[in-house]
Amino acid sequence: MADPIALNVSRLLGAFLPSLSAVLLVMLVNLPVSFTGGLFPAPLLALTAIYFWALVRPDLMPPFVVLCVGLLEDLLSGGSPGVWATGFIAAYALVDRQRENLAGLAGGAAVLGFAAAMALAASATFVLTWIMYLRQPPLAPLLLASVFTVLFYPVVAVVLGWVHRRAVGALRMVR
Amino acid sequence: MAWFGMRPARSRGAFAIRSSVAICGILAIAIAFLGRAQASIFDTARAKISDITAPALLEVRAPLLALENWVAGLGTIFSVYRENLELKRENAELRRWQDVALSLENRVRRYEQLLNAVPEEVMPAITARVIGESNRPFVKTMILNAGTEHGVRKGQAVADDRGLIGRIYLTGERTSWVILLTDLSSRVPVVIESSQRRAILAGDNTPMPALDLDLAGGTATPETAAEGDRVLSTGDGGLLPAGVPVGVVVKDGFGLRVALFAGSAGDYVRILEYGVPAPPSATTRATPASVGLKPVASTTSTLAVSTTLPPKPVAAQAPLGATETAEDR
Repeated sequence: MADPIALNVSRLLGAFLPSLSAVLLVMLVNLPVSFTGGLFPAPLLALTAIYFWALVRPDLMPPFVVLCVGLLEDLLSGGSPGVWATGFIAAYALVDRQRENLAGLAGGAAVLGFAAAMALAASATFVLTWIMYLRQPPLAPLLLASVFTVLFYPVVAVVLGWVHRRAVGALRMVR
Repeated sequence: MAWFGMRPARSRGAFAIRSSVAICGILAIAIAFLGRAQASIFDTARAKISDITAPALLEVRAPLLALENWVAGLGTIFSVYRENLELKRENAELRRWQDVALSLENRVRRYEQLLNAVPEEVMPAITARVIGESNRPFVKTMILNAGTEHGVRKGQAVADDRGLIGRIYLTGERTSWVILLTDLSSRVPVVIESSQRRAILAGDNTPMPALDLDLAGGTATPETAAEGDRVLSTGDGGLLPAGVPVGVVVKDGFGLRVALFAGSAGDYVRILEYGVPAPPSATTRATPASVGLKPVASTTSTLAVSTTLPPKPVAAQAPLGATETAEDR
């Protein structure tokens, strides 16, 4: 019989790993350097984690966590508060509505599914920024960031899939 | 087959989840508009975080910057020969301009002596190290390792050896955030040197900010701004010191833009102490040892505001002004 304390600790760890992975990715992309000499904006890796966990373990990635991750992204990137939080929530809403369809996708179609969520998040932030600044923001940096994020999705999904199988799923299956 | 063979877990009640999503969405939009109107709470948190993480950022940045430079250097391997020839040509041209500049400098000095003119004050500057940069789709900022305890105040201009970079929009105790000229929310009054035409330099997150002549009154004509004209900052509204080089006018398909003199951020920048007086609590100055800042090595700055003296380290500054006029972001 499993030790009840160890059981609770492992459950707690498993429950926090999805949020922690999103927070770590926010911190990673907000490291104080640009490997492209500032030519290309950094990808929004946190959205890949939000999409992944909202798809496979929505119980561990509730909307409030998505909001907090978005606010952290805004806070660390120096942007206006709430902009990316709105984008992330919009993407989460899409996943919530289309979970069965998106989870059934495989390979390239799965990446396209994420691209749809990324496009919705980018559109939400674009419109919100336009309204807030009363000036049309440039589309090119946003498109570049979106494309980079989509390109990074398979890599992040492989890593998070491993975390899911080895840590989150396994820990939470302890009986 | 699902992506990586995983199926979605059973979610909570659909209504509860959708209600939570809607509430969080409304909350995010509300925060966005509240943050735009009154950013002090968020800015304080941001400043606290950068103050706490500053030592770590400083340590992390050095090796990553070396890696970044190495990656950037890879792209130039194949153009080294062509660039070398170009640099030799530029060097020869610059030597000719150096002779002209020295000759003119001597002439101006003689005229000033003849006229008994009051010499221009050299603007004091705080030299700070760049510890972070943010290049996001809607944001272009930079974090410096000097804050209120070093005399940095909101609104001060930030420049490198070549020209204006941006201005301080947020100060912590030991760090400050710079809004770059290229940022979407950056608006800076400038003047076109040849025609003395006022304009607004409006950042739009592209490398070359737009030059808005209409906003400054009147309309653009070929006489007011030609390609290659130098653009300088103005002292209009007490926002920035006058005469700091900004860039040169370039034309694109939609209007006029400015190719900035300041390149990508180096290690050190200068915070120009101009006209933005200190709040009473920010008058304490730090010692060099406590700050750990060094002056920029170059003593031949091209900045108009400080052409004869090297930038001073933090502890060597003159006392700050007395009244508060810090403008909002």
